[in-house]
Amino acid sequence: MPVKAMLLGNEAIAGAVVASGCQVATAYPGTPSSEILPAIAAVADRLNAPTVVEWGANEKVALEMAIGASFTGARACAVMKQVGLNVAADAFMTVALYRLKGGLLLISSDDPGPHSSQNEQDSRMFAMFAKVPVLDPSDAVEAALMVKDAFAISEKYSVLTMLRTTTRVAHCRQDIEQVETFEKGNEVKFERDLSRWVSLPAIVRVSHPLHNERIEKIRSEFETEWGKYNYEIPSKTKAKLGVIVSGVCFSTLKDLMKQWCRDDISILRIGTPYPLPHKITESFLARHDKVLVLEEPYPVIETQLMNRSKVDGRWNGVVPSAGELLPELIEKIVLSEIGVEAKKPDASELKSAIEELGLTARKPQLCAGCPHRSSFFIIKKALPNAISPSDIGCYSLAINQKGVDSSLCMGASVTMASGYYLAHKETGQERAVVATLGDSTFFHMGVPGLISAVYNRHAFVLCVLDNSITAMTGGQSNPGLTGKPRKDDLGVALPIESVVRGCGVTFVETVKAYDTASGMDAIKRAWEYAKTNKTPSVLIFKHPCMLLRVPQEKISVTVDNDKCVGCRYCIDNFGCPGLSFDESAKKVSVDKRYCVSCGVCAVVCPQKAIHKVAK
Amino acid sequence: MANETANKSKDMQYIIVGVGGQGILFTSRVLGKIAIDKGLPIVGSEVHGMAQRGGSVISHFKVGSFFGPLVSDGHADVVMAFDQKEGIRNLSFLKEGGTFLVNTNCAAMFENDHLKKYIADRKIRVCKFKGFHILDEHMEGNYLFLNVLILGAAAGLKIPGFEEDRVAAALKELAPPKHIDSNLKVFGLGIKAASA
Repeated sequence: MPVKAMLLGNEAIAGAVVASGCQVATAYPGTPSSEILPAIAAVADRLNAPTVVEWGANEKVALEMAIGASFTGARACAVMKQVGLNVAADAFMTVALYRLKGGLLLISSDDPGPHSSQNEQDSRMFAMFAKVPVLDPSDAVEAALMVKDAFAISEKYSVLTMLRTTTRVAHCRQDIEQVETFEKGNEVKFERDLSRWVSLPAIVRVSHPLHNERIEKIRSEFETEWGKYNYEIPSKTKAKLGVIVSGVCFSTLKDLMKQWCRDDISILRIGTPYPLPHKITESFLARHDKVLVLEEPYPVIETQLMNRSKVDGRWNGVVPSAGELLPELIEKIVLSEIGVEAKKPDASELKSAIEELGLTARKPQLCAGCPHRSSFFIIKKALPNAISPSDIGCYSLAINQKGVDSSLCMGASVTMASGYYLAHKETGQERAVVATLGDSTFFHMGVPGLISAVYNRHAFVLCVLDNSITAMTGGQSNPGLTGKPRKDDLGVALPIESVVRGCGVTFVETVKAYDTASGMDAIKRAWEYAKTNKTPSVLIFKHPCMLLRVPQEKISVTVDNDKCVGCRYCIDNFGCPGLSFDESAKKVSVDKRYCVSCGVCAVVCPQKAIHKVAK
Repeated sequence: MANETANKSKDMQYIIVGVGGQGILFTSRVLGKIAIDKGLPIVGSEVHGMAQRGGSVISHFKVGSFFGPLVSDGHADVVMAFDQKEGIRNLSFLKEGGTFLVNTNCAAMFENDHLKKYIADRKIRVCKFKGFHILDEHMEGNYLFLNVLILGAAAGLKIPGFEEDRVAAALKELAPPKHIDSNLKVFGLGIKAASA
């Protein structure tokens, strides 16, 4: 009897990927998808399965590695977060039309809310755009089942399939049977077949209509054989309301239905949002006077319904068009559809208490001792008027210390630095530009922007904040390191300095992120060089991420109460959790709950009130 | 039907709140291990990624016949707070008569009249313990033990799902071997804190 364990949704998915005989698994980390690939490696290690597991330098690289593997017959899988799919979109949109050989599964994780993303885009919408069949699980157990079925559909129709998860599926915990065995993979044999493996216009004119035909076949399968994912829970009495529901909203609705004890609402659960099983949805619509659609985050099912005249959803504002559909919201929407007011306990006293006590949600912040905090302090201090484009990663949290003026998407710090430079170029204004991005982001999408900046003679400073890890997503490896997901598998670490020189940059220096004096000097010189020579100069700020817990020298600090004037300079410009400000006494003190004794803050205070403690 | 009632009585919904980095996820792992050992189904939701970086963190955890991972406002049997501000901010999750287990570092906050009234009106059982103080006194101020301390306090209060022997067993299994002795010591301190 398989042992049940408390698994994360992502771990359940990973187990199913290995169990399905996946031969090549690739990914680029991104919340909420990040745990899948390391978990695939862990399961494969435990079962001694022959699954190759690798991080790609970015999502496009990851997906294309998996596509190549599929062309040889190997079963393959690529994993990314929703915005990662944008990076992989070029490959994704075209491979959708291909007749593949080995099963190919794309797992894309959405983040309604958003909790840890720069937008709320819906991968199912992308699947519909690309004409890729997509499965949409409602919990972790189902996500694992769907992995197996997605591979089966992929191999039956030689088509790319997608498993779309959301944060609440990816990061839910459930009791799940652990995987103990795995299927044998396919024979690997590459055969030359230009009708399948190239994307010339003449071939697309044939493959696109063929793809449309197979999508219709898959649609009719979703209407019949795949009833386990598309089914009705009829009401016991005549339904006042029909609800078409998908994803985690379905699990939430089931809990609420139990809580309400109602028998006048019927449910149509859809697990295959594209291609939508029209016969099932249209029959449900025909049998109900009023239908509500609940899905996250975009109206994908709703948009595909043939006739929306009796449908309530996002198109008419009954369901909000942004944010997560939390249980309280679903309760309010569904009950108001049947004319019942949701009962809520009176929380006005609590609200007043929270207001009076001034309690607000704590913003995410850089860890105590984080080298990024020091780097940003250095940059701002050396060039206070510089425009500071930053990137996607922990360093975006330097917004708290005013170290970030803009951020957009992976790699945009470098390219937008070019844009800031170009806009000023013919105006006669001189404005320093200092871009910041992390080591993993540099490899991901920083390099093309840097090459373009060298070629076009753009003057700015690029700071690569190298903390030897992909930190925000939980500590994954990247091409600057030797670590790889599977045990005993070692990669080659690319020195960032060499890559930068290889891109044609002539000013490259590495500085210690904690060394504020050298850092400030280097920044000033780097900007002078860039300005004089019309070229980007690059500084690499190096210090390991605090989460790696690399032992380091402990330098305790203390605040001299007599010297502290309560100016808040350290709080507003350094913002370390290890320093706290007493509002009534107007004094700063070291909060030893958080301080890690990095000693950097000793240089921050304009009054020199923060002292290193002599050992 | 009898079976259904029996199951229902075992249903428990927990909200665990604190600040990223306090080791909240470990608490739900212990809860999960105990429920699975009892053969009970579990479902919950964790926070990963950006919010873990020192921001407000909330874990939802449900044991029994549930489908969705999130606890609805006003339905939690227990709110466990590693941080009193986070606890108060999320107190509306607690059902009437529920238990509020909270690590306190500033007693004055609980003197707020509105808060006192809310707690009285909702018949909330408040169990405070001075976690930082206890760890200062007994563990050289190593606050990473806060999660084990709160487990001890929950066991001391006999909150369903935190049976003392089962938590101790789960600690031995889930925590790194080198920390077992300290963990069991802190667990004992937690139990004592609850009865103090």
